[in-house]
Amino acid sequence: MRIVTRRRFDWPDLLFGFFLIAVAAGTFAATWRLSGGTAADMGPGYMPRAIALVLLAFGAFFAARGFRRAYAGIERVQLRPILGVGVSVGVFALLIESASLAAASFASIVIAAVASRESRFFEVILFGLFITAGAVLLFVKALALPVAIWPW
Amino acid sequence: MNLRLFRAAAAALAIAAPLAALVPSLASTQQFDRPVRIVVPFAPGGTSDILARLIAPKLSEAVGQPVVVENKPGAAGNIGADAVAKAKPDGHTLLLMDIGSLAVAPSLFPDLTYNVENDLAPVGMVMFGPYVLAANPSVPAKNVAELVAYAKANPGKLAVANSGVGALNHITAVALARDLGIEWKNVPYKGGAAASRAVVSDESNVIINGATATLPFVTNKQLVGIAVTGEERLATLPDVETFKQAKLPLSDAGTWQGLLTTGKTPPEVVARLNAELNKILALPEIKEKVAEQGGAVRPGTPEAVKTWLTTNIKNWGDIVRAADIKTN
Amino acid sequence: MELFDNLLLGLSTALQLNNLIYCLIGVVIGTAIGVLPGIGPIPTVALLLPFTFGLEPASALIMLAGIFYGAQYGGSTTAILVNVPGETSSVVTCLDGHEMAKQGRAGPALAIAAISSFFAGTVATVVIAVLSLPLAALALKFAAVEYFSLLVLGLFAAVILAHGSVAKSLAMVFLGLLIGTVGIDVNSGIARMTFGVPALADGLDFVPVAMGMFGLAEIIANLERPEVRQVVSQKLRDLIPSRADLKAAFPAMVRGTFIGSALGVLPGGGAALPPFTAYALEKKMAKDPSRFGKGAIEGVAGPEAANNAGAQTSFIPLLTLGIPANALMALMIGALMMQGIQPGPQVMTEQPALVWGVIASMWTGNLMLLIINLPLVGLWVSMLKIPYRLLFPAIVLFCCIGTYGISNSAFNVWLMLGCAVVGYFFIKVGVEPAPLLLGLVLGPQLEENFRRAMQLSDGDPSVFLTRPISAVLLGVVAVMLLAMLSPAVLKTRKEALAE
Repeated sequence: MRIVTRRRFDWPDLLFGFFLIAVAAGTFAATWRLSGGTAADMGPGYMPRAIALVLLAFGAFFAARGFRRAYAGIERVQLRPILGVGVSVGVFALLIESASLAAASFASIVIAAVASRESRFFEVILFGLFITAGAVLLFVKALALPVAIWPW
Repeated sequence: MNLRLFRAAAAALAIAAPLAALVPSLASTQQFDRPVRIVVPFAPGGTSDILARLIAPKLSEAVGQPVVVENKPGAAGNIGADAVAKAKPDGHTLLLMDIGSLAVAPSLFPDLTYNVENDLAPVGMVMFGPYVLAANPSVPAKNVAELVAYAKANPGKLAVANSGVGALNHITAVALARDLGIEWKNVPYKGGAAASRAVVSDESNVIINGATATLPFVTNKQLVGIAVTGEERLATLPDVETFKQAKLPLSDAGTWQGLLTTGKTPPEVVARLNAELNKILALPEIKEKVAEQGGAVRPGTPEAVKTWLTTNIKNWGDIVRAADIKTN
Repeated sequence: MELFDNLLLGLSTALQLNNLIYCLIGVVIGTAIGVLPGIGPIPTVALLLPFTFGLEPASALIMLAGIFYGAQYGGSTTAILVNVPGETSSVVTCLDGHEMAKQGRAGPALAIAAISSFFAGTVATVVIAVLSLPLAALALKFAAVEYFSLLVLGLFAAVILAHGSVAKSLAMVFLGLLIGTVGIDVNSGIARMTFGVPALADGLDFVPVAMGMFGLAEIIANLERPEVRQVVSQKLRDLIPSRADLKAAFPAMVRGTFIGSALGVLPGGGAALPPFTAYALEKKMAKDPSRFGKGAIEGVAGPEAANNAGAQTSFIPLLTLGIPANALMALMIGALMMQGIQPGPQVMTEQPALVWGVIASMWTGNLMLLIINLPLVGLWVSMLKIPYRLLFPAIVLFCCIGTYGISNSAFNVWLMLGCAVVGYFFIKVGVEPAPLLLGLVLGPQLEENFRRAMQLSDGDPSVFLTRPISAVLLGVVAVMLLAMLSPAVLKTRKEALAE
């Protein structure tokens, strides 16, 4: 997943520029059906498209600057942290309504722990159980969050 | 576990004792075997939310299960209503909201993800709160006739604040203007509180909104009361005429709060819920708290709510289509 | 003299034993929910509303108010320790507060946050007592035109916020404005960029965006570096702010309090503007603005004072006019009505013991918060002793539960996940997310008020200059623009280009 870096280009600027251009393009695509109106009598599409235009200009500016400027790299992207945390949050979102708070919490803790190389198996299981119990007591018993505690 | 069930059942019996004739059997107490949710499709603090939180503890005593209030705000109430429409049809998921919003939803949102009449089963009406039509004191009008005359003499000058495009008070304002042949600006705000503030500060000039939110400003002379909906004048505003007396249309517009559950819930479960709801609404303390919300309890049958919905889906739909109000 | 009588009357209510106890319960609950990311005062107050029916009106309101300003105290703790802003108001505290914690100065940061809040709370109580009526009258003068001009001013302040390049922070403000337009357009009722997702109809919720971009993104970036054992000193000397800290923080506290008191009165912008504006001002006033974002104590003191003062003065429209300044005040109105009290100007004359009691309780409550929080500083700091490999999964989980709890929807959790990925990208390309958040909060109001102003003026843009308050605000913006183009700023831009 290492970003292949040539000896040129200011990569942070270049990528941020491309990101803004993509966002602007996406906005135009998503709002082309909304009426624009005039500055004095704006339609719903006026503001998003006006802002997208500004973002497009910023994007072009950063991208151009990134091309011209001396090399600047980006710290290597590591897959483990982003996948661990990402999957943990995703699993929580899937389980909270279909299963229960206890299941979602425990799964989320254990998966998140995978994100760090330093996690130890038994410690994580124990800690997960402990935090799950705490979360159930705190959020369901004390704060009355309307979710099921157990999957059954 | 058994002990808890027993205690809950005993509690339910004790509560219902004075109404012996209506007491459901122990068996029907067991119709409810897990916690009941009352979904309020708006953020906490509104009328629906407060009503739900008033009813929840009483309903919990009656069915012997915890009753939790769950706020599921978003998309003009459609997210919460959709969740109830798609829940298990066993009467454990309830919806408490202004059913006027439910009645306009099919005409406002063509791609609604649920069918108001088929996927939701009415349990009963909870309360009715009238609307108050009021104006900032800068508008030279003390009653409907003067307001109409002023609006006719100054077309497009009055600005009517509403709580959002497609909100009931917006549609009401549109319908009034069409009926009276007047022209005013409809200015949308994010919710009723923002709309009230704008009229008090004279940013907009006229408001049609629930009595709860509007009355304090009228009694404090920050706003002038012009007319009220409902069958009779309000005790707090004896000088303000009703819509009917002023020959205005939509004299029964207002906040109709109703309780519903998932469609296809067995009729006996709905009947049980209706009976419990009406018993709760008969309690003096509940009546009193509902009155403080600017309305009156409206116990009734599920069928009455069903009829109300069918009629109003048609009536509001006609107005929405005639005025070409669109949200999509 | 009348003021003195009123305060005395208020104190006699607030100092009754049962009211002191309810005040204590309120501020303790408030601190607790403030510390938990996501779970904010609004659901908590809604939950507790039924329990207040049986109380005296004054006790009920004192307790509910305590939850509100207590949560402002608690929110800064999470922001400083783990960089998770649970609420709009604590985003700014993350910037320098968490930086201080990273440098092992979590103790002084927490203590300064508590002291600033106490100071602001005390002054704001006096402001409410002395100035509520004139301030409320001023707030009513703010119509759509004035709001628009105020919001423009607020957004310009955002540019000063970031410590990187001015161009990048401007781009981020616009990005924030853009994602602020997602949802149903208030003026036309038409859904924009919701991609058919009903959960997007009311726009992106602030909390999942903030927690994703700050909290989770930071965790992911942290995990890429080998764990640095933080030296957490438990020596009292390192927990309390030094004399130099206090000296640096005090003027910031005073300015923050002033800004917060003034802006808190205004409905709408109430929660977001005061801390952001205070931060921008501190950075502008500083001799060496480059310290900001690297653990400047003024960057904690100013915004914390502003946010607490604002929280309290937002009661003014409620108490004097019966108009709620924000969603929480709307709940308070609900609480009042359940007690059979119609909110409005008459409350001040008919129920003086209630109104002044609540005002005086804000002072006793703030004192309690200081007493509770200062000893807790040691406890919070020792939380950092938990190894990071255990601490971070717990933070991830609490962020998930907190975002879920906002509107009981899994959608917000997915949104937070998406924002975490984008936030991680921002860290990689070296841009700051704070200006984006300000744009997100203020953008929708900016557009709404502009279009409403145009609708009411029949499309005549000259109203922005002919109405005096608006003209003054736009004048300040013009001066700031000129200042930005001045040589000093050109120099900083050169530095930015050279970096």
